[in-house]
Amino acid sequence: MGKFRFQRSQLCIPYGLFLVCFVLAPLIVIIYYAFTNGEGQFTLGNLIGFFSSPNTIGTLAYSLGIAVATTCICLTLAYPIAYILARSSMKHKSVVLMVFVMPMWINFTLRITALKEILTMIEGNLAYHPFLNTLIGMTYDFLPFMILPIYTTLLKLDGSLLEAAADLGADTVQTFLKVTLPLSVPGIISGIVMVFLPSMTNYVVLDMLYNSTYIMGSLIGAYFSAYDWHNGSMIALILLVIILVFTLFTNRYADEDAGSSRGGVLGG
Amino acid sequence: MIKIKRGQVQTVRKPGRTLLAAAGISILAAGLFPEQTVCASEGPVILRICSWEEYIDLGEWDAEEAITLDNGTVIFGERPLYEEFEDWYRDTYGKEVRVEYSCFGTNEDLYNQLNIGDTYDLVCPSEYMIMKLMAEDRLLPYSERFYDTQDANNFYINNVSPFIQETLESNEIGGESWSKYAAGYMWGITGVLYNPALVTEEEASTWEIFGNPKFNRQITLKDNVRDSYFAALGILKADELTDEHFIRSADYHERLADMMNDVNPETIAQAQELLNQLMDNVYSLETDSGKADMITGKIVANYQWSGDAVYAMDQADADDFELRFAVPKESTNLWFDGWVMLKSGIDGDAERQHAAEAFVNFVSRTDNAVRNMYYIGYTSSIAGNEEDDTIYAYMSWCYGADEDEEDIMEYPVGYFFSGDNSDENYILRSAGSQIGRQLYSQYPPQDVMDRTAIMRYFDADANKAINQMWINVRCFDIYDVPVGVWMALLAGLLMLIWMGYRKSSSKRR
Repeated sequence: MGKFRFQRSQLCIPYGLFLVCFVLAPLIVIIYYAFTNGEGQFTLGNLIGFFSSPNTIGTLAYSLGIAVATTCICLTLAYPIAYILARSSMKHKSVVLMVFVMPMWINFTLRITALKEILTMIEGNLAYHPFLNTLIGMTYDFLPFMILPIYTTLLKLDGSLLEAAADLGADTVQTFLKVTLPLSVPGIISGIVMVFLPSMTNYVVLDMLYNSTYIMGSLIGAYFSAYDWHNGSMIALILLVIILVFTLFTNRYADEDAGSSRGGVLGG
Repeated sequence: MIKIKRGQVQTVRKPGRTLLAAAGISILAAGLFPEQTVCASEGPVILRICSWEEYIDLGEWDAEEAITLDNGTVIFGERPLYEEFEDWYRDTYGKEVRVEYSCFGTNEDLYNQLNIGDTYDLVCPSEYMIMKLMAEDRLLPYSERFYDTQDANNFYINNVSPFIQETLESNEIGGESWSKYAAGYMWGITGVLYNPALVTEEEASTWEIFGNPKFNRQITLKDNVRDSYFAALGILKADELTDEHFIRSADYHERLADMMNDVNPETIAQAQELLNQLMDNVYSLETDSGKADMITGKIVANYQWSGDAVYAMDQADADDFELRFAVPKESTNLWFDGWVMLKSGIDGDAERQHAAEAFVNFVSRTDNAVRNMYYIGYTSSIAGNEEDDTIYAYMSWCYGADEDEEDIMEYPVGYFFSGDNSDENYILRSAGSQIGRQLYSQYPPQDVMDRTAIMRYFDADANKAINQMWINVRCFDIYDVPVGVWMALLAGLLMLIWMGYRKSSSKRR
């Protein structure tokens, strides 16, 4: 009998098991269900069905609409805040940052319930503006996720680069556009990823703000509770592909941009 | 039907949320961990029960909550009923039993759990799920011993309301009546909870209120296909349903049930169109937020189950605010939840089956039924008998008229307690204001009960069609995207292309 010898690579076994059990296996199950019908035969019907029905395609459009709008609003709000906080010479800026991030520490359902009451006070009847309310709720929910990464990147930005830009005759606007903004792109990208993807499926916000329209997340739930695993899995898979494409695209863009700006500023 | 029980309002899980989490993990778990085999011969009998959340008295009442009824019975909940059952079983049958009590959120959740491989011995789904399980041959019939009225410990058969038992016996699946497989637990009807300051009784007494432009964006429908479809059918067939000839026809009940369970493709298409219109008129679809929204005044009327309506009226009363309950004149849904034994769980184990039947009997003991009613707020299927009038005493404890009451009415409830509505023993003297209020919701009068229809389970094809219909109603239609949005998208796309072109051309330079 050979003596048991501990190797460092054996430390990977738990992670490998975890990956197989909770990432790979569910994925295979989803793919299996997505491409089979009730009798277990291979079919493309679920895929074709999704893209040929005005309702499911409409749901995709609606979810994308919410996600794009939420991301844009969050970015527009978060960037100035992060910029001011990072650049200011305030003594206690971590305290101010905390104020913006603090809502994250409070239970999310509680916050949305409170928001619901406030919006009712302002609008009178929430049912007239379901889309707008959803955007407000989503923004409220996801804003900290946009502020934090941008703030961190801006904080790390080397001040000497700004001085150099000023020495070379760039005015404030030019410095911002040519130096600060390109260098903060990685932060923006991770902010977008953290806001865009969850806001496409976070249907609890819609439920709680009385928006009865389905988005991708609730559509999957609807199919599952009707025992239709096949269509539900197909939609989950489509969502996965969308997210994959989106991530690849943003990664490529981030690499390209970070590379070119590094080349432009540091290499020059 | 997703029913939210009285008590903690916010704790109930939504179907979709749990499913999403459950689906992936459980499918996997089912594959990885094969079903556990239970060793029955040694140690206590293990009884696995699965029921609705907040659907059994969990005890821990405050001392002042103790109810002393006119017949001398004192009702007090000390510990959860299923724990007290263990003691009662030991004292009565001299055997140890251990109850593993768990909860489900919706009928569909339960069904999915069963398919995934969870095993339970005794579950408490709603009527249409009982039908589905019966049709799939997954239920075990109760033993003959269970129906023996001579056995004093057979509380169910001795105490069940003749009205409920009659309903169970008269409904059949595959030639077998439900009463062989199901023991009634709670029951109720559906209707419209409304604010009498803003809505008249007449306006609320029809399903058409959901399309009434007067209450644009001030009423809610239920967020589940079965209930909303029922309301849509009530509107679509209103003329026929309220026709005098139809109501007086000999086979009225049979035809009414057929009409309210109509799954013709044509009817489903009409219902989809109608529900689309209703969606533009209602405030939202809700499962549990409606009660609170009625009380805070966000909405003036909502589709409600009788038990929840009682709860909302109680809450509103505490705030000096009046809510009332109306039953649509077209037809209303009679629903009930019942205890059924699963073949997969009992698995031929006679001791376990005995324990399961004993549990049903235990919760059917009149004092326990009162505890449950008090705790949950729904109406129990248990009525008591000539010797034991605890249920009726509890009813008069709740709704009996005070001595100094000026407006007193005689409210017959014999149909529920003895099967004869003219039975003088069961005519409650109550305040006249109870019409349209709690008593009326909990024990509707005979004329309301006459127009109730039971929801049947739909076969696979019809079920699929109706679920698809509901998804279509709920989804955003791509054709509804405003032209401006398409234009903006096109402009954005063009800009991206242009930017990409400029970038690549500048690189080349």
